[in-house]
Amino acid sequence: MNHKKNQNLENLLLLFFLIIALVAPLIFGSNQYNMLLVTTVLIYGVMATSWNIIGGLAGQVDLASFAYLGLGAFTSGTLLIRFNFTPWIGMILGGLVAVAFALLIGIPLFRFRIKEVWYALTTCALVEILKVIFNMWEEIGGPVERYLPYFSGSLYHMRFGSYVPYYYLILGMLVIALLVNSRISRSKLGFYLKALGEDEAAAEVLGVNTRACKLRALVYYSFLIGVTGAIYANIYGFIHPSFFNGQESIKIAILGIVGGRGITYGPLLAALLLVGTQELLRASLGAEVSGLYLVVYSVILILVVLFKPKGIATFFQYRNKKPAKQEVKKKNVV
Amino acid sequence: MEVIIQSLFDGALMGCIYALIALGLSLIFGVMNVVNFAHGNFVMLSMYFSFWVASLWGIDAVLTPLITFPLLFIIGMLVYYGIIDRTLKEHYTIQIAVTVGLMTFLGAITQLAWQSRPRALSYSFIQGSIQFGGYTIALSRLISAVISLIIIIGISFFLSKTWPGRAIRATSDDSDAASLMGVDFRKTYALAFGLGSSLTAISGGLLMTFQQVDPTMGLRFGLLSWCILALAGLGSIPGLLISGLIIGIGESLAMSFLGSQS
Repeated sequence: MNHKKNQNLENLLLLFFLIIALVAPLIFGSNQYNMLLVTTVLIYGVMATSWNIIGGLAGQVDLASFAYLGLGAFTSGTLLIRFNFTPWIGMILGGLVAVAFALLIGIPLFRFRIKEVWYALTTCALVEILKVIFNMWEEIGGPVERYLPYFSGSLYHMRFGSYVPYYYLILGMLVIALLVNSRISRSKLGFYLKALGEDEAAAEVLGVNTRACKLRALVYYSFLIGVTGAIYANIYGFIHPSFFNGQESIKIAILGIVGGRGITYGPLLAALLLVGTQELLRASLGAEVSGLYLVVYSVILILVVLFKPKGIATFFQYRNKKPAKQEVKKKNVV
Repeated sequence: MEVIIQSLFDGALMGCIYALIALGLSLIFGVMNVVNFAHGNFVMLSMYFSFWVASLWGIDAVLTPLITFPLLFIIGMLVYYGIIDRTLKEHYTIQIAVTVGLMTFLGAITQLAWQSRPRALSYSFIQGSIQFGGYTIALSRLISAVISLIIIIGISFFLSKTWPGRAIRATSDDSDAASLMGVDFRKTYALAFGLGSSLTAISGGLLMTFQQVDPTMGLRFGLLSWCILALAGLGSIPGLLISGLIIGIGESLAMSFLGSQS
């Protein structure tokens, strides 16, 4: 019964968020800087929500999110710069390139059963490796920024004069990511993933093909982030190897963990709260004392983790009542 | 050929220090299975402490661990009782989250206290180099490597011969059985965490003799020590030394042949 209640609450919260998000540009739209900030927060929301598929449901702490983001950005950006190829198709291709890379990495990793912290470290190293490769690969990357062609308003090139259209694009991505997430978590694959996330050996004994399941989760995750990467490149107007950012990739995973592993809207909630707070603090404190906003942010992060280890999202969940459990125990004793 | 041998020397000397850094992480991860992402930032913090102590009181960088070692030990214990102890029973992702929070915190604190620009000390009294058949060996690196080796041997002696060391090893094998034998596992965990953190004080002091420090280098040392740990396997000190040498030599060979960019 609680499950049903939680489901209703979840839908209600998401609907509430969506309405606010849809009208937000009316409030912030006049100020482009604020618009960019809100869009940035939403990008983190999209990435953390996508991360929930591999990290929350399947329990694999993947720290390579910005690798897929960068690959998507470089694919679509390079196609646009070199061949004047529209990013609307380019972003799908970017997603596919990210998927191809994810498979290239995921198949051997899962084949050799690299898991837990070792999986996290391998994927963390991946981002740094890609950064170095793109720094040295002069044809595509190189240490100099490559700017996308500038148009003040061209639908074909996905270049708009304002951040508002990008905001709606990212919002659309967020809705897609949330839908994919909730569909997966209710599907057979979702239950398999939850099972292997809890105990991989047990899931395998029960007949779950853990390798295939993890790979499928990885594919969904990398595709969503790859597509987001193409939009990301268009928002900022350039591509650069610094898109492969190890520190921020760790942050995405942290948002997913802090939000509540496996809860569809948890990572989004964490992104809104933590990244929102961080950006606000940065805007208000950053100019005076560098580093102070990070101190406040990290203290908040540690406190949240210590006092809500099951995730921020559990604030908004009905819990199973304890008396029911005790009754069961008594029956067993009798 | 000369370049190769020179890089081999440099890498091997650096590798000893890396092994010392990884030894601290190995104690923490091996004993209590806590995934510590903040280890690299502990190294950075102790480098800053060394810088501070050395420039404030005019002590040589090699001697700063005498002061920073107890300091880091206390900080490690505080971190253990304040944060890590509460997350021991949680999923390992929670430990990652909390130590990443700690990592950000330490990075930010150092940025607040010492600004973002790199800091370095003036020459230590072990500066200079010795010529050895056409090859140059920096004296500071040589002595740092020797000190690292001595500390590593000392720690392995501590782990195998003394009561607290044996308690640490017993707890890492089986904490339930160890607590049945009268080992207070929380105290042992605290000891291991404090020792693991304070070992970075020594490596920090040694690194300060020939390197500068800036707030972004924490993650690099953290990943480096995880690499060494992954290569060495858990609980093997000779393994740590060998993989430290492999990583150090690999790094210095790559640097001299591919350029420092890679």
